[in-house]
Amino acid sequence: MVSDNISKQVIKYWKIFALLLFCTVLTVLAVYVDFDVEGSIAGGIFIGLTIAVFKGYLVAYNFMHLNDEKPMVYWIILVTLVFFLILLFIPVIWESTLVGKY
Amino acid sequence: MDIKIPYNEDLRPDTGLYNAKLGIWLFLASEVMLFGGLFSSYILLRAGASVWPPIGLDGQSVAHLLEETIGLATFNTVALITSSVTMVMSWVSLKMKDISKFKMYMWITISCAIIFLIVKYFEYSHKIHEGFIPAHDTYMALYFTMTGLHVLHIIGGLFVLVYFVMPDGIKMWDDEPIRFTNRIEVFGLYWHFVDLVWIFLFPVLYLLN
Amino acid sequence: MSNKEHHEESFWTKYVFSIDHKVIGIQYGITALFFLLIGFSLMMVMRWQLAYPDTAIPIVGPFIKWLATLNGFASEGNLPSDLYNVFGAMHGTIMIFLGVVPLIVGAFGNYLVPLQVGAPDMAFPKLNMASYWSYLPGGIIMIISFFLPGGAANSGWTAYPPLSDIATQGQTWWLVAMIFLISSSLLGSVNIIVTIVQLRVKGLTWMKLPFFVWSQLITSFLLLLAFPPLEVAAIFQLMDRIAGTSFFLPSGLVISGEMLQVSGGGSPLLWQHLFWFLAHPEVYVLILPGMGVIAEVIANNTRKPLWGYKSLVYSSFFLGFMSFTVWAHHMFLTGMGQGMSTFFQITTMIISVPSVVILSCFMLSLWGGSIRFNVPMLFALGWIPMFGVGGLTGLPLGLSTSDIHLHDTYYVIGHFHYVVAPGTIFALFSGIYFWFPKVTGKMLDETLGKIHFFASFVFMNGVFFPMFIQGLAGVSRRLADGGASYAHAADVLKWNETMSYSAWLLGLAQIPFIVNLIWTLYKDKDSKANANPWNATTIEWTDATSPPLGHGNFKKTPVVYNGPYEYSVPGMKDDFLPQTKKIKKGK
Repeated sequence: MVSDNISKQVIKYWKIFALLLFCTVLTVLAVYVDFDVEGSIAGGIFIGLTIAVFKGYLVAYNFMHLNDEKPMVYWIILVTLVFFLILLFIPVIWESTLVGKY
Repeated sequence: MDIKIPYNEDLRPDTGLYNAKLGIWLFLASEVMLFGGLFSSYILLRAGASVWPPIGLDGQSVAHLLEETIGLATFNTVALITSSVTMVMSWVSLKMKDISKFKMYMWITISCAIIFLIVKYFEYSHKIHEGFIPAHDTYMALYFTMTGLHVLHIIGGLFVLVYFVMPDGIKMWDDEPIRFTNRIEVFGLYWHFVDLVWIFLFPVLYLLN
Repeated sequence: MSNKEHHEESFWTKYVFSIDHKVIGIQYGITALFFLLIGFSLMMVMRWQLAYPDTAIPIVGPFIKWLATLNGFASEGNLPSDLYNVFGAMHGTIMIFLGVVPLIVGAFGNYLVPLQVGAPDMAFPKLNMASYWSYLPGGIIMIISFFLPGGAANSGWTAYPPLSDIATQGQTWWLVAMIFLISSSLLGSVNIIVTIVQLRVKGLTWMKLPFFVWSQLITSFLLLLAFPPLEVAAIFQLMDRIAGTSFFLPSGLVISGEMLQVSGGGSPLLWQHLFWFLAHPEVYVLILPGMGVIAEVIANNTRKPLWGYKSLVYSSFFLGFMSFTVWAHHMFLTGMGQGMSTFFQITTMIISVPSVVILSCFMLSLWGGSIRFNVPMLFALGWIPMFGVGGLTGLPLGLSTSDIHLHDTYYVIGHFHYVVAPGTIFALFSGIYFWFPKVTGKMLDETLGKIHFFASFVFMNGVFFPMFIQGLAGVSRRLADGGASYAHAADVLKWNETMSYSAWLLGLAQIPFIVNLIWTLYKDKDSKANANPWNATTIEWTDATSPPLGHGNFKKTPVVYNGPYEYSVPGMKDDFLPQTKKIKKGK
């Protein structure tokens, strides 16, 4: 039974691998497509980061087997992500700074 | 007298974890904050620049060179993703008690890491040769710092990978197979994280300019 | 485990490259106390310059002259202003990163956490050793940098660019040392968290943990998550200085009338954000374990349970979380927008609430207790009002309107020194007197201890209270002449002498302490203190093998039945109930 599960897992890992390769190709191709919104490259950045987040999710969820982890690990990741988001808040504060833009 | 630390290989009932697993996740949490700081700075510096990549003192921008390196970077992305899947496969092989398969997958992982480093070397030397050193502009500074730190993680990981397949490292499999499997799992988590960082570095530094 | 046979340990593995948490804790303790002394000595020299600007310093004058000449500054036995800047920057760095944090987390955390949770050692003993051996080189690099041409780092402990980017090479050494220290902290904090989570003995549920362990857990999380952004900032600054990048250098920067030949495009504010993202949580890294020590000492010496144990724990959690959301209150004067400044004023006001809750719990714990006025308790009792002063004087700094006047004045210096010096350091002294019998098996002398306490208490206030007066008058910090060249400072300059004499007397007041440590260790080599001299309840007193340096913490793995502060339980013969003592139900 156990080995049956593992062979299923193995197949899943290779599928994820194929999906990751596919996403890589997709994100590179996206560079050559014009997603520009009103002259800014925001559209392209959005597409690129969405694909990256999806790939990151695939790796974390499957390879780092977060699909089947203990609550303690989820708690640590949750706390870290909250502080990570606070860290990404720095450019927002900086944007609001009235002087000191160079 | 040697002390036995509890839950070194067996799982603590209430947390369901062994020590090293909790340890590596805490370490990765700090790594998230490390790279978080880098990405945050990237956004800030990019938002402050009028053109990206900025134009250096020599009136040049690295933009044209980046188009050329997309191929190399894509190749490297594939190399790292491959190493990630073979890493997880070597852990699965241990769970199936197949040590020869484990060794095979480990060696593929090692090769991928080495290939990554070689490609990186060519990428760096090409850029430096063209005069795009870190001091050229803030993009180049970020590029070298961020990929440089990532490369340091790869090099560190490479040493550990090699240690695991050397006789000194692998002999633990005979004495304490569970602990050895745990080691591979924990190292795998680190290795996947390094891959994950690259997944974000790749579009941020190479594609979205 | 793979090691089966017993082998004799050599001197090196037993005392130097030890993996025993108790030895590493002592190593941390001695090293950190040594650095505290160095940091304090720097300040005593600086206080001469502030009281009597540009006059030769008695006693250490020749040494200062030698050092200044080595660094390339002119000195006639006085402290030249360049060297004053070096001393100022290094005083802050040494006190915080090499003194207090290693002492309270490295020494106390290392020594006590495994004992208080009933663990045989830290979860990763070898990482623990690596942590110390990453801290020590960091410290040595810092010390060596004093002897470089141009001296050690001189841009303040905050190392703000662009100044620090163009400073003398001491700054590079500072950054390298900081990277060592950060690595050491990361290793240590992972270790402490895993030890607390994984190695708690049977029966020791979360709400039975001593408050000290909670404070170490939260502190470790702060270290773990706040230090990496500073590491990023340090790497950036290192790149700026070595590779000529412009992370923190804006375009068109002019220095000494000349345009700097760099690409520009960077932002000096980026450093401030990354730095304070660490450095504000760092304040709580300094104070939380101190609170943990105070909690243990107060509960033990009032002989009654700690008042509001759960609210203490939840407050600390809240404090830890909020400490990540207040960092920009150090930056009100950087011109941030109204919205942002309002946000950070609100979070700053909110974070004072849990601190007040904690302080109130300690005060209420005293109520109705039969207090034993021994030395640890005296320090704890001294801590309460001193931390109160430090905390309350922080409120005007958290409001941008009053901060405009007070920013970078001596008021700020007074405020954070009240938090850290009579705050954290009193807690440290309290802890040292309290756990010394655990570590060495000998009780420190009470009389010398009391001299140490009362003298320190008086002179601490003598040093720091006048700073508020000077600061309110608008005297800026970091002036090598203490404000003598400013007309508005004229009325309050007289306080400089008071503060300086207090500082030197404070130095003298530490002599009874040092004498006490050494004398106690060497008198009656065979005398042993009672294993539980304070009649305490926690595991490290009641079950751990006692002392010192015994390898292995427990003869038998303890099992916990009771909460950490079961003092004066009604109906019991003793006035304390050890955590590991089983009592029959229904009594």
